[in-house]
Amino acid sequence: MSPSENERHHRFLRAFTAQEPVIRAYVRRLLPTRADADDVMQEVSVVLWDKFDSFQADGDFRSWAFGVARYEVLAWLRDKGRDKLVLDETVVTKLADESAEREPHLERQREALEACMQKVPADQRILLMQAYQPQARMQEVAEASGRTSAGFYQWLHRMRRMLMDCIRRALAQEVSS
Amino acid sequence: MKLDMEPLIHAYMDGTISHDEMARLNALLLENAEARREFAELLNMDSALAALAAGWEEEALEQAQTGRSTAPSAHRAPWLMATVCVVILMVAAGWWWQVAHRPFATVESVAGAAAFQPGASLHGELHELHAGTLSLITRRGAHVVIEAPASFRFESAQRLRISRGRLAADVPPSAKGFTVVTPSGDAIDLGTRFGVDVPAQGAAEIHVFQGEVIAKATGARQQQSLRGGDAVTMDQGSSTTRELRNAAFIQPDEVSSLKAGLAAGQRTRAEAALQQLREDPALIALMDFEAEAMPGEGVYRMVQGRWPGSRAPEFVQVGDHLKLDVGGDRSWPQLTLAAWVRIDRLGEPYQSLLHTDGWSKNNPGQVHWMITQEAVMRLALIGNTLAPGADERQGYPDSRTPVLPEQGRWMHVAVVYDSAKKSVRFYLNGRLDKETRQEIAHPARLGPAQIGNWNQRDRKLSGRVDELLILGRAMTDDEVHTLHTAGNPYR
Repeated sequence: MSPSENERHHRFLRAFTAQEPVIRAYVRRLLPTRADADDVMQEVSVVLWDKFDSFQADGDFRSWAFGVARYEVLAWLRDKGRDKLVLDETVVTKLADESAEREPHLERQREALEACMQKVPADQRILLMQAYQPQARMQEVAEASGRTSAGFYQWLHRMRRMLMDCIRRALAQEVSS
Repeated sequence: MKLDMEPLIHAYMDGTISHDEMARLNALLLENAEARREFAELLNMDSALAALAAGWEEEALEQAQTGRSTAPSAHRAPWLMATVCVVILMVAAGWWWQVAHRPFATVESVAGAAAFQPGASLHGELHELHAGTLSLITRRGAHVVIEAPASFRFESAQRLRISRGRLAADVPPSAKGFTVVTPSGDAIDLGTRFGVDVPAQGAAEIHVFQGEVIAKATGARQQQSLRGGDAVTMDQGSSTTRELRNAAFIQPDEVSSLKAGLAAGQRTRAEAALQQLREDPALIALMDFEAEAMPGEGVYRMVQGRWPGSRAPEFVQVGDHLKLDVGGDRSWPQLTLAAWVRIDRLGEPYQSLLHTDGWSKNNPGQVHWMITQEAVMRLALIGNTLAPGADERQGYPDSRTPVLPEQGRWMHVAVVYDSAKKSVRFYLNGRLDKETRQEIAHPARLGPAQIGNWNQRDRKLSGRVDELLILGRAMTDDEVHTLHTAGNPYR
């Protein structure tokens, strides 16, 4: 890479590294599964890099990236929506706008998850992490844990509910303290 | 409504949703804003869980692949290379999760922190460091020095959460992305040396000594890139530029000499020397700042002094100062001033050690003791003049050797004034540095004074003061030497 190319690359990485979790969460909220979100995210990162020249150096990288991500999500839905059960385009548009606006709050929720995870007993935490592995097969994780598939999903839903409650409580305390 | 909808969302996320259920979910989300919020929050958490799990897997893989070479091919299209780099950085900056029993960090060296043993492993537990200084090395090779009082916890080898305390980090390329999380914001390293100070009260500061760090105040949309020499205070969602205090942070090499000092029994020796001074009939004041009661009115932070768990005032902001009022009842033909100080930064115009309030032409002999812009010590008594042939240009007795090399270390400064002999003798770390002769030499006058400032603005000291001695007689060279030797925290 030439020095200027190198510099451009460095600028991109700096902006992208800091915003990647935020963009990923944004994409995730609009798509059915994490695997779908991974697919789209890959595309988004390539487009962001390709179009980085059109991004103003003093601009808001996050807003710009949200715009790109939203476009890629809608394109994906049009493409894949025929074979899969997905959200209506109108719903996605509303979700995209509203959740971008609420991102500061949603980010605090994501941050609060770490502390809430500490409250989960170690064995359950490991199971949860296994279930959330990229390319994890739920059937296998369920079997390994000695549960039926249905029982495993019920457990998973209970964990999600418990963690969501914990996160909301943590944030409510943050506000009142 | 929530009860109706939640199973739909779970089924949607698990990929087990039916056509009918999907239609119901779409209808609900379309018409109900509250439902959309609920939906977004659950998916948002799902994303956060996946991020945690990704880091978790990465560590497991890393464990399996230790030592294996993964040299990248040189024939890749630039965009592919970029994507590869992006992926690597995503992982580095992402969340990590503890796996198995591998420690996130290991204790390298300990100075006065009894609860920690060299070689001890740190996992994800919370640590309280009540006294002393700790030098750690993370699994990825970042060196971190933490000074008490501190409360911290490693969330991964790459993520250190600190709610109180002061740390200096030296991060090699292998640990790039190392992140320090504070209550008021994060510091994300891009291969560098930096310091983070989280005071007991007030906002966290990031100081970059070298390289580059990204500062992200909690709740802020924009992060800020800091380069070597930059410093910010992060407060309520925004970062404000501030002066660099690069020497306020203890570095690894200092930990070892502090440790050696303690091992050699320096602390006991220092206490014995203090006791002896307290019995000196000529003693005007000896401030060791150890009493629970504040030593005087003022604005300053109370931080760790030279010894583990000891106390010293630290002056950080413009206007920080400590008031005292001693020895104003008479004049002092002889005077010795001495202190242990730790200067954070050198700056203009002066760093005040002791400035009496009564400095005026009608009040000859009033004392001003400081470190100048040229980084030398100065003792000014109003009305005094230099003897002919003195080499000082500004009319006041100055020491010769700049304190520059001592910046960022505790050093001992002393000056002995004798109005009858018309002499001013300066000492650095117990050694006579210079004697300056005066032509007119008034007896010294004290009274209301400030440490760390004068006029609350322009003579700000940046750093800590420990053990300030004001003695109404002239100490000999040997006495000053002994004072330094006994009180020296280093070996």
